[in-house]
Amino acid sequence: MRLIIGGAGQGKLPYALRTYNCTPADVAETFSAARTERVFDRFHAAVRATLEAGEDPQRLTKELLQANPGIIILCDEVGCGVIPVQPEERAWRETVGHLCCDLAEQAESVERVFCGLPMRLK
Amino acid sequence: MMTLVSGGAGSGKSAYAESLILQSSAAPRIYLATMQAWGEEGRQRVERHRRLRAGKGFLTVEQPLNLTEVEIPQGSAVLLEDLSNLTANECFGGAGFAGAEERILTGVDSIRAQAGELVIVTNEIFSDGVTYPPETAQYLDILARLNRQLAAQADRVVEVAAGIPIFWKGENP
Repeated sequence: MRLIIGGAGQGKLPYALRTYNCTPADVAETFSAARTERVFDRFHAAVRATLEAGEDPQRLTKELLQANPGIIILCDEVGCGVIPVQPEERAWRETVGHLCCDLAEQAESVERVFCGLPMRLK
Repeated sequence: MMTLVSGGAGSGKSAYAESLILQSSAAPRIYLATMQAWGEEGRQRVERHRRLRAGKGFLTVEQPLNLTEVEIPQGSAVLLEDLSNLTANECFGGAGFAGAEERILTGVDSIRAQAGELVIVTNEIFSDGVTYPPETAQYLDILARLNRQLAAQADRVVEVAAGIPIFWKGENP
């Protein structure tokens, strides 16, 4: 598994498609679709949808990695703003952050994209 | 030489950007200011940046919109501060969202053609996880696209954190 992080709009998806020879047809945006695709884009948004549906994103992430251990996961960094007033917003930011830490620990590579440029963190 | 300098609020990006101009042999030094100073806080910010530049031989050109109107001596060392302000001025004032991205890129091209050294300051405001109203989201999207396009054109791309430059492209002069 590879993890690619970065702020919104920094060009993570074009970078991933270019670097790992994928096409838009290889991209999933939900946990279920990601089981059989090469790229899981907008992981942060899928985590949000999961929390809103009352499901457990940790469990879904674990199952995803068992089903698709070679997946490339793209996630926005969402933790650098003012702490939100709403508890659900706080829970989402923290869950995304903690999941990224877990993913990074297990990942074969971790890259951060900034203004379209990659930096390898691991 | 073109450099894109980014970072969060108070990261030291302005001081670093200025140091690139001071190290350059290009002349004269032009401070291309895009900020419209609204209210007391705006005036204080402008004043703070003026103090930082005092005695360093900068000519200040104030141009909040329409960069293509700027005429400067050929070969100048230009510090453009900053892209997020310029983008906001173009999007929310001036001719509006439609074509803002192209106007700004054309404006930067025009400055670049006149400058021997160009340093552009932009902002890292994309990692707060906040869902903004449509107009703000559109502004952020345009700024992110401009950052990527200018980064692709630039010789150096530097993120400044706690005053320390991190090189995403190119290296310290």
